[in-house]
Amino acid sequence: MLKKLLKYEVQATSRIILPLYAALISLAIVNRVISSIPILTWHAPQIISMIIYNMILIGMFIMTFVMMIQRFYKNLLSDEGYLMFTLPIKSWMHIASKLLISMMWMVTSGIVALISIFIIAFDIIITKEFLHASVVFIGDFFRYFGPLSGLFIFEILLVGVVGLASMVLMIYASIAIGHLFNRHKILASVGSYIVLTTISQILFIIMAVISSYLPTPRHLSIANDLHGVEPIIHYVLWFVIIFSGILTSGYFILTNYILSKRLNLE
Amino acid sequence: MSIILECNSLTKAFGKKRALSDISLNIEKGKIIGLLGPNGSGKTTFIKLLNGLLTPTSGEIRVSGIQPGIETKKIISYLPEKTYLNDWMRVHQIIELFCDFYEDFKPEKAYDMLKRLNINSNDRLKTMSKGTKEKVQLILVMSREAELYLLDEPIGGVDPAARDYILETIINNYSANSSIIISTHLISDIEKVLDHVIFIKDGQLVLTSSVDEIREENGKSVDGLFKEVFKC
Repeated sequence: MLKKLLKYEVQATSRIILPLYAALISLAIVNRVISSIPILTWHAPQIISMIIYNMILIGMFIMTFVMMIQRFYKNLLSDEGYLMFTLPIKSWMHIASKLLISMMWMVTSGIVALISIFIIAFDIIITKEFLHASVVFIGDFFRYFGPLSGLFIFEILLVGVVGLASMVLMIYASIAIGHLFNRHKILASVGSYIVLTTISQILFIIMAVISSYLPTPRHLSIANDLHGVEPIIHYVLWFVIIFSGILTSGYFILTNYILSKRLNLE
Repeated sequence: MSIILECNSLTKAFGKKRALSDISLNIEKGKIIGLLGPNGSGKTTFIKLLNGLLTPTSGEIRVSGIQPGIETKKIISYLPEKTYLNDWMRVHQIIELFCDFYEDFKPEKAYDMLKRLNINSNDRLKTMSKGTKEKVQLILVMSREAELYLLDEPIGGVDPAARDYILETIINNYSANSSIIISTHLISDIEKVLDHVIFIKDGQLVLTSSVDEIREENGKSVDGLFKEVFKC
């Protein structure tokens, strides 16, 4: 069932986001072509195409964000919810499908933006140097961290995924809380978002203070080279992963509770 | 006879306003039930509670002995009073969606009815009139072989010719095992198909009775009784 939901979620979102990707890449190519034509006296085309490119780039990121909110709110809590919530599907699957596809588009938008920048700035010599530098960097990285490099990469990816999920789910939870109000639902959602952010930050500070008193990492804080600091980096990364993970699960459980036990579609 | 619908002191309040108060009733399987009442009497609220789109404030509701949830959604086919389909989809895409999620959906039935009503399955809902959209929704709902059909104002927005076809479709799809609840205030149009009626007024249950009993005891038609009960 989740697979089918994901399929329809991709269908509903790709028709909005894919044309934007196509427009961004085309504009990047146009920019590239225009800037390679040696017009010395007249710069207007370059400037105009660059402005349009930037607008689409910004628009794409805004749209990715707006779509994340809109798919949750419109598809589940407005008229379309009449269909979604009469399908024989558990509400956690609705949340999961929307969450996964939103995260997917956020990552894809980032990649597409990088590709478009690469198209505009592509230069054989610079690219060669860049690739060379990257190879050197990756080599250094693995040499430095040795057998733990894999763990390090894994931790950083996990921080990214959990961070993204927690951002999206905090917004979903806020919208769901706003839905509990009889009137001024949107205002209540915004208010809930502010409250949730504040609570999360207070919790983070409390946890950070508590963990700084834990005995383990203390003797490490006097290290003065990268190897000495390494355990601290792992420690901090896992602190962030576990803390955001707990918050993320909390938002998910809260949203699911409201959608399954306190649903009141207008 | 088994019970399809069971309510015990069902109450739903929105803030201070009570949309339904203290409704208790039992309905047997295999009937066409008219849920009748003037505008704002709580008909839609009642149907949404059956679907689990609303959560009761107090009391309980059971469909085929189960509280609203995944299992009841599998056996209920629901026609809401508003358009719930997103407008960018084509009719055949929505049919695929119904096929994917409802085991009892019969696509050939849907295509057959679309053809009868001259609706092209490649059209997007965006390009359709309100009446045509309502017809599409009704086709989708009636193409399921459900145990309980909940039809909220199914004939409100369509022309009289289509209205007849729709009523015909409803009756033809009705089998001994399934029950239909139709909410409406256009009683004279559907009176001839009803077995049982529920009258509600200002969220209160006024009457629940079989149509035969009404005719025998009151010597009146349902429409006549309705006008008498809800006299302004």
